[in-house]
Amino acid sequence: MKKEIIKFILNGEQVEVYVDPAKSLLHLLRNDFGLTGSKEGCGQGECGACTVLLDDLAVNSCLIPAGKVSGCSVVTIEALSRDGKPDFVQESFVEKGAVQCGFCSPGMIMSAHALLKQNPRPDAMEVRTAISGNLCRCTGYKQIEEAILLSAEKLNK
Amino acid sequence: MSYLKAESIGQALTLLKESAPESRLIAGGTDLFLQEFPERLIDIGSIEELKWIEEKEGFLEVGAGVTHTIAGGSDLISDKATALAEACLQVGSPQVRNIGTLGGNVMNAAPAADAAVALVALGAVAVLMDKDKNIRRVNVDQLYAGYNCSAVDCSSELLLKFMIESCKSGEGSAFVRFAARRALALPMVNAAVRVKIKNGIISEIYLVAAPVKPAPTRLLKTEELLLGKSACEETWLKAEKSAAGEAEVRGSLLRCSADYRKHLVGILVSRAIQVAALRAIGGKEEG
Ligand SMILES: Cc1cc2nc3c(=O)[nH]c(=O)nc-3n(C[C@H](O)[C@H](O)[C@H](O)COP(=O)(O)OP(=O)(O)OC[C@H]3O[C@@H](n4cnc5c(N)ncnc54)[C@H](O)[C@@H]3O)c2cc1C
Ligand code: FES
Ligand code: FES
Repeated sequence: MKKEIIKFILNGEQVEVYVDPAKSLLHLLRNDFGLTGSKEGCGQGECGACTVLLDDLAVNSCLIPAGKVSGCSVVTIEALSRDGKPDFVQESFVEKGAVQCGFCSPGMIMSAHALLKQNPRPDAMEVRTAISGNLCRCTGYKQIEEAILLSAEKLNK
Repeated sequence: MSYLKAESIGQALTLLKESAPESRLIAGGTDLFLQEFPERLIDIGSIEELKWIEEKEGFLEVGAGVTHTIAGGSDLISDKATALAEACLQVGSPQVRNIGTLGGNVMNAAPAADAAVALVALGAVAVLMDKDKNIRRVNVDQLYAGYNCSAVDCSSELLLKFMIESCKSGEGSAFVRFAARRALALPMVNAAVRVKIKNGIISEIYLVAAPVKPAPTRLLKTEELLLGKSACEETWLKAEKSAAGEAEVRGSLLRCSADYRKHLVGILVSRAIQVAALRAIGGKEEG
């Protein structure tokens, strides 16, 4: 498609980019904005490594055409840490040993944030459902589930 | 301009009229984005008028732009069209459900799309508007032209909403599916049922299992067999045998053999009827 100007809010800041609207949001983030935290696992909605928040909902950025985000708010993993310090969910992932190779972690953590925004007191089943669109080939998921439950505890303290 | 976000139904239709036939509608894009991409896209994903869920004169009206997450979480749909809420909650993953829509699920015309199967079993009618604003109403199972091929031209017609007769007391519906995993796996078989039970006897039934035909299709012979039968174990066994016998299924190298699929059709149909019947008579569900 012909390039167009797309305006949206990226990690809290109003941005403007001249881009092919059929390009995926994932490639827009990684290649045009240099935000390489969101990962490309499958490029077709199957792995969740590319998960970001679009107007507060978890979505696969590899399935979103750039044109769709105009006027919307996008939040990526890069928005979480402050002054080089991890946020409470990232910290919980470290504390629970929920990161091995780390390729799934940005997506897992964004899915965790999407869950906690809507449901600050999830039970283990709700956590499992929330990350059911995120594949992890290393951890076996148990530590990830524990990390998200720990995040919820911190949130409610 | 090649990517346009429409704000209203009127604007979407005007854009379609101006740029047909090169343009195409995009809702969530979860099906379209992985296919060949047209030169012009009209994004209908943010049109509020397509996201309404309401009950009017005994009919539940569900906008084509309602996402699976919203439909699955709607008390009105869970109460009056239970099978649809159940189907939506089993689509793909949270990420896919957050953006994929009911309209897209039907218009993409996959033979076993979960929401579409539930809609057909519920007897849903689709309301469409063309670019000259003519409205037509069509049963959902009539919207299919072949495998993965819709009878609706997405460059000239907009699906507005689905109308479903609300389930009243004595009626119940249910949706079940079987897949390799509980998330991110397309179903080997799915089944949906709407049933009415009067004095312990099945007095109306709509039964769909998929993938059997290009469109989600009712198993008419099994429906006929069950009419007038009492809601009991013996009937469920008959339903299982009859449905497996009636469904002419194909095997798939990716998902399962034809024999296994036939077996599953019987089991799932029987399970779905039992759950729907329990709901119809207001019984308690386990778990
Ligand atoms: C990883 C993954 C997993 C999936 N899992 C499942 C699953 O388990 N079960 C399942 O059923 N599906 C599944 N799907 C398929 C898909 O998500 C659904 O079919 C979804 O409902 C499609 O809706 P959409 O809004 O994204 O459609 P889009 O991709 O936007 O549109 C699909 C088609 O419909 C047309 N269209 C859309 N809305 C309208 C309208 N209102 N009027 C006229 N035409 C319209 C478009 O032009 C296009 O041709 C999966 C997809 C992915 C990527
Ligand atoms: S890269 Fe987007 S889901 Fe796998
Ligand atoms: S930590 Fe390696 S994929 Fe999850």
